Amino acid sequence: MATAQDHTSPNPPLVTGNLGFHDITQLVSYHTEKRPPAMWYMVFAVSSTLLMMLLAMIAYLFWNGVGVWGNNNPVGWGWPIVNFVFWVGIGHAGTLISAILFLFRQQWRTAINRSAEAMTLFAVICALLFPTIHVGRVWVIYWTLPVPNQMEMWPQFKSPLLWDVFAVSVYFTVSLIFWYVGLIPDLGTLRDRARSPLRRRIMAFLALGWTGANRHWRNYEKSYLLLAALATPLVLSVHSVVSFDFAVSIVPGWHTTIFPPYFVAGAIFSGFAMVMTLLIVARSVYGIRNIITMDHLEKMAIIILLTGTMVGFAYITEYFVAWYSQVEYEQYAFLNRSTGPYAWAYWIMMSCNLLFPQFFWIKRLRRSIPFLFVTSIIVNIGMWFERFVITVTSLHRDFLPASWDYFNPTIVDILTLAGSFGLFLTLFLLFLRFLPMVAMAEVKMVLPESDPHFYENGHDKA
Amino acid sequence: MIALPIVEDGKGGKKLWRSLPQLRQDPEFADVVRDEVMPADSPPSRRHFLQVMGASMALAGLTACRRPVERIMPFARQPEELIPGIPLHYATAMPFRGAVLPLLVKSSDGRPTKIEGNPEHPSATGSTNVFAQASLLELYDPDRSRTLLHQGERTSWDAVVELSQRLGGSTRRLAVLARPSSSPTAAALRSRLAERFEDLQWITYRSEGDDAAASGHQSAFGRSLRALYDFSRARVIVSLDADFLGPTARNFGPATQSFARGRKLASSDASMSRLYVAESAFSVTGAMADHRRRMRSADVGALAYEIARRLGAATGSGSGLSDDPFLDAVVADLVNAGSGGVILAGESQPAQVHALCAAINAALGSVGSAVRLLDTDEDPEPPQGAALRDLANAMRAGEVDAALILGVNPAYDAPPDLDFAGALAEVPETIHVGLHHDETARLATWHIPAAHYLEAWSDGRSWDGTLSVVQPLIAPLYADARSDIEVLALLATGAPQSAYDLVRDTFRPVLSGAFEDAWRRILHDGYAEDTAFPEVVPEAPVPAGPPGFTSVNGIEVVLRLDPTVLDGSYANNAWCQELPDPVTKIVWDNVAVMSPATAEALGVEARYSKGRYYVDVIRLTRGERSVELPVWIVPGHADDSITVTMGYGRSIGSDRPERVTPFWDTADKTDIYGHGALANGVGQSVTPLRDASLTAIATDVSIAVTGRTYRIITTQDHGVLDIEARPLLRLGTLEQYRANPAFALEAEAPTPGSDEKTNFQDYPMLWEDRHPARDAAMRDSSYYRNQWGMVIDLNACTGCGTCILACQAENNVQVVGKTEVGNGRELHWLRLDRYFVSEEGTELPKNPQMVLQPVPCQHCENAPCEAVCPVAATVHSPDGTNQMIYNRCIGTRYCANNCPYKVRRFNYFNWSKTIPETVQMAQNPNVTVRSRGVMEKCSFCVQRIRGAQRRAELEDRALVRGEVLTACQQSCPAEAITFGDLNDAGSDVSRLREDPRAYTMLAELNVKPRVSYLARVSNPKPDAELS
Repeated sequence: MATAQDHTSPNPPLVTGNLGFHDITQLVSYHTEKRPPAMWYMVFAVSSTLLMMLLAMIAYLFWNGVGVWGNNNPVGWGWPIVNFVFWVGIGHAGTLISAILFLFRQQWRTAINRSAEAMTLFAVICALLFPTIHVGRVWVIYWTLPVPNQMEMWPQFKSPLLWDVFAVSVYFTVSLIFWYVGLIPDLGTLRDRARSPLRRRIMAFLALGWTGANRHWRNYEKSYLLLAALATPLVLSVHSVVSFDFAVSIVPGWHTTIFPPYFVAGAIFSGFAMVMTLLIVARSVYGIRNIITMDHLEKMAIIILLTGTMVGFAYITEYFVAWYSQVEYEQYAFLNRSTGPYAWAYWIMMSCNLLFPQFFWIKRLRRSIPFLFVTSIIVNIGMWFERFVITVTSLHRDFLPASWDYFNPTIVDILTLAGSFGLFLTLFLLFLRFLPMVAMAEVKMVLPESDPHFYENGHDKA
Repeated sequence: MIALPIVEDGKGGKKLWRSLPQLRQDPEFADVVRDEVMPADSPPSRRHFLQVMGASMALAGLTACRRPVERIMPFARQPEELIPGIPLHYATAMPFRGAVLPLLVKSSDGRPTKIEGNPEHPSATGSTNVFAQASLLELYDPDRSRTLLHQGERTSWDAVVELSQRLGGSTRRLAVLARPSSSPTAAALRSRLAERFEDLQWITYRSEGDDAAASGHQSAFGRSLRALYDFSRARVIVSLDADFLGPTARNFGPATQSFARGRKLASSDASMSRLYVAESAFSVTGAMADHRRRMRSADVGALAYEIARRLGAATGSGSGLSDDPFLDAVVADLVNAGSGGVILAGESQPAQVHALCAAINAALGSVGSAVRLLDTDEDPEPPQGAALRDLANAMRAGEVDAALILGVNPAYDAPPDLDFAGALAEVPETIHVGLHHDETARLATWHIPAAHYLEAWSDGRSWDGTLSVVQPLIAPLYADARSDIEVLALLATGAPQSAYDLVRDTFRPVLSGAFEDAWRRILHDGYAEDTAFPEVVPEAPVPAGPPGFTSVNGIEVVLRLDPTVLDGSYANNAWCQELPDPVTKIVWDNVAVMSPATAEALGVEARYSKGRYYVDVIRLTRGERSVELPVWIVPGHADDSITVTMGYGRSIGSDRPERVTPFWDTADKTDIYGHGALANGVGQSVTPLRDASLTAIATDVSIAVTGRTYRIITTQDHGVLDIEARPLLRLGTLEQYRANPAFALEAEAPTPGSDEKTNFQDYPMLWEDRHPARDAAMRDSSYYRNQWGMVIDLNACTGCGTCILACQAENNVQVVGKTEVGNGRELHWLRLDRYFVSEEGTELPKNPQMVLQPVPCQHCENAPCEAVCPVAATVHSPDGTNQMIYNRCIGTRYCANNCPYKVRRFNYFNWSKTIPETVQMAQNPNVTVRSRGVMEKCSFCVQRIRGAQRRAELEDRALVRGEVLTACQQSCPAEAITFGDLNDAGSDVSRLREDPRAYTMLAELNVKPRVSYLARVSNPKPDAELS
């Protein structure tokens, strides 16, 4: 039985609080124009400190070498690669929300897509950082790019790491363009609202002469659709390619055909969790609960439940396949995960990723802000550990028992990971400060007012 | 000068004088003038005049021997034979434990860079041992003493000359403490010294204890005989605590070679020897045993006696060992083998056990065949314990005027009861000659830096007695350095002598024919032909009664030479410190090794937590002195026995500055040379456990648990290998092998896609048609005609570890230090994987088998590393090796992750940045010194392959079979490594690769390794149930 509010439609309203067009413009733009709240400064102070620490850690790393981390001989890849996969995974939600949900006409996405896309970009920046700094000789990292040179020496196209370079950089570029194109109408709005001439000039430059003309809207929507179509395969491809780093190898525990879908599901899982963490804070701090509503959060919770279950299914499938393979090395790799020296990491992963999201079957918990917040953080802890379990536990004990060893992170590992959160948060806070965190133009499109014919999703405001 | 009178001219009464004292005609001045040259106060005579003239002429000649002006010059006129970049090889020999190891040393543009065995030497194998390899770094040890010191102050050689003259005058009582030496020149100087010093006490000091083998043979046969074992002629070998295959063994090379030859199986109808080992500590010899009995070293004597009694080599009523299946089997097999039976005792055993073994061998009839007895014609040495005690007492009583300490370190390792340091302080003049300013050097009034054997002329006899010249390859790195011979000669004559001349003088009567020709020949060959000790076949000794071994219950402590640092002389050698102990795999430390049961009884354990070993520390107390040592538990060690090794806890002086870096720079932590001498602070000295008799076995040691724990660094986990599940190392018995020669391949997983079992070698590759090795560019390359491969015979490999150091020296493999090995970042290109094998399930077995497997890069044809490198820094060569292009590598480490053999090594820090200048001189100029951030690994010694190809090209000929030897192969005394061209169907490597025992590790991955292993075949006594 539908509530009184939405008696004409099975769907709840996407924007609550009876907001009009101007209300939305005001609500969103206002935050980019006024002085940020004290909370913003406090968080920014913390995040920029962390960012400085990251820079210090990178300087220390570059000066001394990769040995400042805990990596050793069997475990050639440690936290940097774990962090890379973790951040790439987080960088999945934005484009998924923007592109795939756009193509599927999921209009609820409009409230969250801008910040999710911004988050994607910043997460991918964090992700790109790690493979760059993790190489032994960072000064020649450009050899991974197909730069024509007098030696006719090209990268080795068979290497999944090279595919990674292409996949992640293409993903970043397309996501950036997609995000920027979506921003153009809103930048026009900011320009029109700007009081100071400087701000107007900057916004005018960024808005690319947007006037809101019919022709502009037509081109805008067409390009947005095309970019969405272009970005959609990338959402699936980028993490598939990242998973190839592992799947293409012959290391037991890595060499698994299930990895591409499993990684994509895991990426969406962690990405949504990160969007949820950020938006729960942002919507309350910036007072936009009416735009990012409880229904939005619940929908994200359902996606987290779905992808979390898929990931859990993948975990169990790996065990089945290992048993079914009858290969000692495969079997041992998985047995070692759950019972070996890194069992603690494995069980953190299992409980965080498989167990906790299952609470979302309960509608009350799905709509409980504190529970959502805590779970979203737990999911990301779990997903970090998933990458840790895959990367480190597979490597530390592989074929020849004589080579087995253990990996212990150093303080530099820990501070670098913490610092990457500083980078991410700093960028996100700057975004909140200077750009509209909600796609105003798109939200306006899903208001009942923009649908005068009262088609199926419209709301009777009379 | 001759006292010139004051010249007075007769007329004017004018005097010509030189100084006021002369004018005054002081008597003191007259003395000075008179004694200036000639002590004689006789008036100048014709005789005197001629003497002075002769001396003046000699001095005039000497003035020409000035230090050369230091100027660097290009070779405008190139010296003969010297082409820059083309190394020269010189034959020389290295003194090692009282004999010399014949060597062939490579000299790259004037600096020795690699040490090999002399393949032409009659006793040698062309192989080396760990210490010969490491002696190269010893030469370049940055902590080597550089300056002559007197009372801690720098002094000059002239002062030492003056000292020697002074000693010659009044002092008559000289004590010499020398390391065992086989040098005839040194022996000759010893007798000249005895002429000059009436009361000469010469003690050959062996820090490991008396030469029990020599005295055992002396007492058995009544003459000085040395046993030379030819294990290839033995059918049954019984080792009583004898680690004759261990790196410290004095006749290591020939023993290992002949043992391996007796174990290699050319075909399934070949026979092999059977090895019984009774020992306390698990040694590499024990790892080769077909039947191994773990027993306390103190109980071995009783076993020896019982074997001797049953074989009729001893009389008596027997001991309580009657119901021992091991003993029964040994006796039965020895009887069966007859003259093919060999028994030998270890260095820890007393002379009686050696005598018993000698008697058994004589009774079996193996003397003359498998056991060759050589007449060394040496005077038997008195037990050094008593000699040292007498000397110490004499010193304290002021009865010694001067002491000369030649290359030994009694302040560090002499029994503490003697208080040798205190005694030394009572001697007015003590002269220490040593490579380091060490514990003894600090006590001596004079310290003379020793010249390394690669820096000075000397000579010596190899273990079989063949004479060799120790030929220097380089002038001493430090001008003050002098060799033992030079110091001895100075003391014996009171004047500096040229070691070169002395050595030549020694050889003059030995060499026949024209001396210069013969001399040149011996320098070239490295040895004098037919100079070995004569072989004798003495009468079997009369069976003696029970030697009366007293069995003492309780825990024994056995002191042994360390397999990596010997008695401490190699403690400052980074290669040796980082070389894992063959059994425990511990680096940079010494431990008290015991069995699991003993550890349990003592209540101590080695806890493994998060990749780190935290072990309990015990206190071993003997008398009033104690040592605290971390424990280590080795399954297969005898119960109630603790093995400790010497050579740690050193204190060596170093004048190098401490490396201090700003806080952001880790170079101070990663530089192993950055904090003084690197031996200091490593491990604990076990000298407090020695008693004055210097015996190896101590049964009166009390043990207490300290409650402290200590972190031990190993290169390997403890691991029991489940051979069934992981057939990395394939073992079979001789019976199995004869029934099914290809038993090793049975363990292989079936090839996918067919029911029939086929070899993975023939299984198609993923890119069968597009494989890089089949590329047109590859096929057209001239390198394509050679396809390199390697076969490692696990039946021959004893796991001694020489190959690891040979590889390290050849390939500029850097040392990373204790902390970084603990972080899992050691760089050894070749490692010896050690596994314990058990069939009893997962419980720690009491007496497991131990196996060692050398693992270099497997050079897969389908290399998993190559496919994953994003920048093509590791690629396949046309000649089928997997190459690492350092300057292309960006260091993603993906290749290392994807290597199933984990042979790739990453430079986590810039190790080469901090190596001292002298150590830089040890680097092989033909191999890139890797910088930070690049991957490295075994290259199959590609520089040697290319070098040989270049030579062949220049000489316009094809490569000769066997022309290319890898460093590991060349150093291997067991000839376990075969390397060569697989395209050459007649080559050894092609033949062995087709051997039915050949298998490749992890063949089911279809990576197609170019390294094959020959499965290990043991030869247990059929139907014997032995533990």
